[in-house]
Amino acid sequence: MLEKLMNIDRRIIFIAIALSVIIPTLLPVNLPITGSEPTQKLYDYIDALPPGSTIMLAFDYGPSSLAEPAPMAEAVMKHCFDKGVRIIGVTLIVDAVTLADKLMQKVSEEKGAVYGKDYVLLGFRPGVTQVILGMGTEIAGVFESDYTGKPLSEIPMMANITNYDQIDLLLDLSAGSTVEIWITYANVKYGLQIAAGVTGVIVSQMYPYLQTGQLVGLMPGFLGAAEYEKLINAPAKGTEGINTESFAHLLIVGLVIMSNIAFFVHQRQSVGASSRSQREE
Amino acid sequence: MTRQVPLVLCFLFGIVMILTEFVPHSRSQGLYQGIVNWSLIISPFALVLAVATLIQTHWTRISRHTEHWQYSYVVFIGIIIMVLIGVPTFLNNVSFLSKIGLSFGPKSPIFEWLFNNVQVPMDATMFSLLAFFIASAAYRAFRARTFEATLLLITALIVMMGNVPIGDLIWNTVMAWTPWDDVTSTARQWILDNPNLSARRGIILGVSLGVISQSIRIILGIERSYLGGD
Repeated sequence: MLEKLMNIDRRIIFIAIALSVIIPTLLPVNLPITGSEPTQKLYDYIDALPPGSTIMLAFDYGPSSLAEPAPMAEAVMKHCFDKGVRIIGVTLIVDAVTLADKLMQKVSEEKGAVYGKDYVLLGFRPGVTQVILGMGTEIAGVFESDYTGKPLSEIPMMANITNYDQIDLLLDLSAGSTVEIWITYANVKYGLQIAAGVTGVIVSQMYPYLQTGQLVGLMPGFLGAAEYEKLINAPAKGTEGINTESFAHLLIVGLVIMSNIAFFVHQRQSVGASSRSQREE
Repeated sequence: MTRQVPLVLCFLFGIVMILTEFVPHSRSQGLYQGIVNWSLIISPFALVLAVATLIQTHWTRISRHTEHWQYSYVVFIGIIIMVLIGVPTFLNNVSFLSKIGLSFGPKSPIFEWLFNNVQVPMDATMFSLLAFFIASAAYRAFRARTFEATLLLITALIVMMGNVPIGDLIWNTVMAWTPWDDVTSTARQWILDNPNLSARRGIILGVSLGVISQSIRIILGIERSYLGGD
């Protein structure tokens, strides 16, 4: 019995995981979300920006990981448009341009933001480090036109924006190592204020930068998206996601505890059996 | 000569870029900007190289009939379709194509449809499979066999439960008789702020020192493996 429990068919685990995601998705639950300090810091920073300020949103995630950073981007954009803060979209990942365009259009339609006045999408240029360094001197030197091919000189919002000196914050929404690159080349060299919204698996890597103040705030995975949505009082995909994720985590924790109980009981039985056989000999 | 020229270029550019960091003179900064602009121009060629390598690899698979060679045709079909729709934006000026509703470039509805309905679901599916394998692997391998493994296990369970609101909900319901609220998220935050931060900082310092020493070796021509060959 214990042997069976310890070597349970993996297909049963797969089905359990699928159900733990499908059921809460179909029957939404509302779990209480408590805010964490890193998300609160980011919210406070953006909330304190005066209308007319500019933040740069770096959409540094691909389709494989969009589930976590996309709700963060949506929540921050809603907050910015409500506050009259302008947004410059940019990406270091080629796959992300279409995702960013779709999301910016969606949120701008919802909030009545105007392209070229309230927000702009610069798009993608190859060469991660060079792109970051180049924009530090002159954004138009790297992006001579926006994503649609319109020259930056013809975009009203970009009229008084030359480089990072006119950007109040860069928020990197990342599923990889781009946050560290932005910190190294844009924060250290040009003094650009940086915050991050990252997928759950890389959250732990960000804490040294939070402590040094190189990150002014951090949204950790689905939790960060849900917390930000709570702060702006607009629950959406992040809140749905964290509620669903809760049950998957609970299941995995339950499975690990169950396998360890089976392991200990089995070990104790094995030790008992071997000592009995030794006594008999 | 084929090795000396890259070594000299590497030395010169390495030294110049270091010096520009410490010389705020306008000429120095102009030189720095010039080199950044050069590298911005060079970067797209890496993409060309990547596409060429991809084509070469899959062409070899097809010609040698290696395992699953048929799938290489799917790669070619994907590349050709996306390039044909995404690249020739000049065709948008052809009135015949516009009349029949065909548009080209990354804003083309066909390009966007293919991206949103083919690439996004496929990429998301591949990544989602991780959840199943992680759950299965955790069940089989995450066992408290030693003291270190036990520490890792307990930490992981706390962080996992602290990362989701159900962790605090369970604590606040089951342990309501204690004077402490939201203990799982507080414990998770403490783990991230203290042991995790210390360990990560150690790793960052170690990696940074390694990067500095390796960079010096490359600039001085001691480390030459990037040139290929022996």
